[in-house]
Amino acid sequence: MLTIEDVKKQLKDKYQSDIRNFEHPYGTRLFVDVDRSRIRDISNDIIRMGGRYLVSVGYDNIARDKTLGLVHTFSLDAEDMFICLRTSAPVDNPEFDSITPDIPNAGWSEREYIDLLGMKFTGHPKPKRLILADDWPEGLYPLRKEVPWNMMPPAAENVAYQLDDAPEGCTTIPIGPFHPTLHEPEHFAVYVDGETIKGCDYRGFMVHRGLEKLCQTQLTYNEVPFIAERICGICGSVHATSYSQALELAAGITISRRAEYIRTIMLEIERIHSHLLWLGVAGHLIGFDTVFMQAWRVRERIMWFGEKLTGNRKTYGMIVAGGVRRDISPELADELLAVLKTIEKELVTIHKAIAGDGSIHRRTKGVGCITTEETKLWSLVGPVARARGVDIDTRRDHPYAAYDDMTFDVPVVDSCDVWGTVVVRILETFEAIKIIRQAVEKMPAGPIMTEFSEEIEPLRHSISAVEAPRGEVVHYLITGEENRPERWRVRAPTYPNLQGVPAMLLNNQFADFPIIVGSIDPCFSCTDRVMKVDVRSGTAVRVSGSDLEKISRAKKFAGR
Amino acid sequence: MWLTSKLKQVLMVIKPGVVTLKYPFEPRPVPKDFRGQPSWDHHKCVGCGGCAAHCPARTILIRDVCQDLRIMLYDGSRCTYCGRCADVCPEGAITMTEQFELATNDRNDITVNMELFMLTCQRCGRCYNMETTNMIDKMGLRGFRYDNLEVRAVIQKATEHFDEKLLEESDRYKRPQK
Repeated sequence: MLTIEDVKKQLKDKYQSDIRNFEHPYGTRLFVDVDRSRIRDISNDIIRMGGRYLVSVGYDNIARDKTLGLVHTFSLDAEDMFICLRTSAPVDNPEFDSITPDIPNAGWSEREYIDLLGMKFTGHPKPKRLILADDWPEGLYPLRKEVPWNMMPPAAENVAYQLDDAPEGCTTIPIGPFHPTLHEPEHFAVYVDGETIKGCDYRGFMVHRGLEKLCQTQLTYNEVPFIAERICGICGSVHATSYSQALELAAGITISRRAEYIRTIMLEIERIHSHLLWLGVAGHLIGFDTVFMQAWRVRERIMWFGEKLTGNRKTYGMIVAGGVRRDISPELADELLAVLKTIEKELVTIHKAIAGDGSIHRRTKGVGCITTEETKLWSLVGPVARARGVDIDTRRDHPYAAYDDMTFDVPVVDSCDVWGTVVVRILETFEAIKIIRQAVEKMPAGPIMTEFSEEIEPLRHSISAVEAPRGEVVHYLITGEENRPERWRVRAPTYPNLQGVPAMLLNNQFADFPIIVGSIDPCFSCTDRVMKVDVRSGTAVRVSGSDLEKISRAKKFAGR
Repeated sequence: MWLTSKLKQVLMVIKPGVVTLKYPFEPRPVPKDFRGQPSWDHHKCVGCGGCAAHCPARTILIRDVCQDLRIMLYDGSRCTYCGRCADVCPEGAITMTEQFELATNDRNDITVNMELFMLTCQRCGRCYNMETTNMIDKMGLRGFRYDNLEVRAVIQKATEHFDEKLLEESDRYKRPQK
């Protein structure tokens, strides 16, 4: 077991004066100010200590000391500790050593700040555009303070993202950018050799809404939870809770125990409905619509209960900084227990009915395999990691809300494939039911809101993580003046998991693409547009809908 | 194994039968504390603007056209029905109704417009500071407000005394364009 003092001593002994300062104002969070020349070495050392990379945070500090700040955050799961390495570079030479060659998951975070803040990362393996639109002008960095929040630069023609070159002899199949059954517009280029996937490139962020910028410039502290909730349509309370916890930590207030219990119940209600939703979608993706219909039928109960409790079936709007907005009355608690009983019974029925079904086994077992080591290397989170033998769960490792009072198991399987994620999610639903029962039983009396009696001191850093149904959500907050955050960085679980998808896809069948991508829970469907690319000559022929129809008709009638 | 699980699936489907609701042919009542379309009681409203200051979607606009007349406009087309306005209203003038069938192609159908006659405070004109003790719930913009109701835009400016110039300036406000 490492303590904060051990980590401090180890770093100080090795790096001496390159470590400028230590700060640990909240016990389990260690902030280390380091020299930017050693950032890569120190990051690697933290990984060696057993750290898991979370996210990087870049921020604009130009107005104060003409620098751009960068924070790499890590979690020491066994020790319940977050380590944040803070560094900075002058704005006229914002160059940092890239940590991506050693920690591949940092790739997107670093690309994000190349786009948004104009940082440079030496040694980055793929410094391509990630977030900004292809026609966004060069040299205009939207996250810098000088750029207004509502700026709309003119659109440009003839610009397009250059996908990576396909490996020798492979054909490119574009998937996306939009399809009626996709939940989000995202674009994959999959390189196939026959039916086998040999690689893929990803271009997403078509719906990047600039929420962070909006909240940093327009909204106030207590309006942000409502925006945070709308980051995700499925796990909204998770983001609101994580943001509120980060803010409460920075302000140094402790909220009432009852509010923490209600937050726990809300988070678990969300987990039940999200896992049932995913189970249905997964069934749908492999063409097993009975599961889809039945899982969603069972799920509807919890949606109705959510509507009764919060006033809305989703985006509950329950959580604000300082507590929750509505109390759970004894009648509602009884009803919740009754709803859980039905769901548990129905879920057992579904579980029994599909567990022995050969078709679901054949479509998910041995599909999307990556090893436990690769999963750790890519810092994957949530059910995706737990299905691959990585025993992490923020609820247990970094207890928040009322999870320290709950007893529950963290299901981990080591089948390393999509079947594993199905099993983990079903088992977790039962655990969630268990947690809610305990929470309802043990819930203490008390107020549901704790007010902030003093203004929040500006420029305090804090970090908070919450276990969402899909994985771990991380919010990093720097408090600001004018009653709003100076910098607020959100990392949703799909952010690391999607980066691991190319590894999961490798050497799988193309037909398994939907379920592999779906297994991390962004739920993609099928191809909507086909483009034939001759790899050798490089010419592309777009096949229109009517062409496709002709081809398929010709195929159909060819056998007659 | 395969056959038994298929039989179980058949039972699983048959037992609940048809669960699809007949909505919209049969009404679907909403629960008691449902957060539907907010409604303003103009008898109770004192025009403090707390709702506007706390609306995360910025759907509530305030425009002081002169010293004594304040126009408040609620534009339901962007409302997220979070119900914060009802929470913060010190007079209980806002209630979240049960109305949720609000789809329309004319946003004036879901717009509420209130003209409030305001008394002038001897001290400062408009001096409402919602009596909240929560430091993060304090009002950002206090005093006279000049939102543009034509383009439904919040103008992030407020003054202690009525300012005709700002009112005119707000009329010229244009949304950013490409």
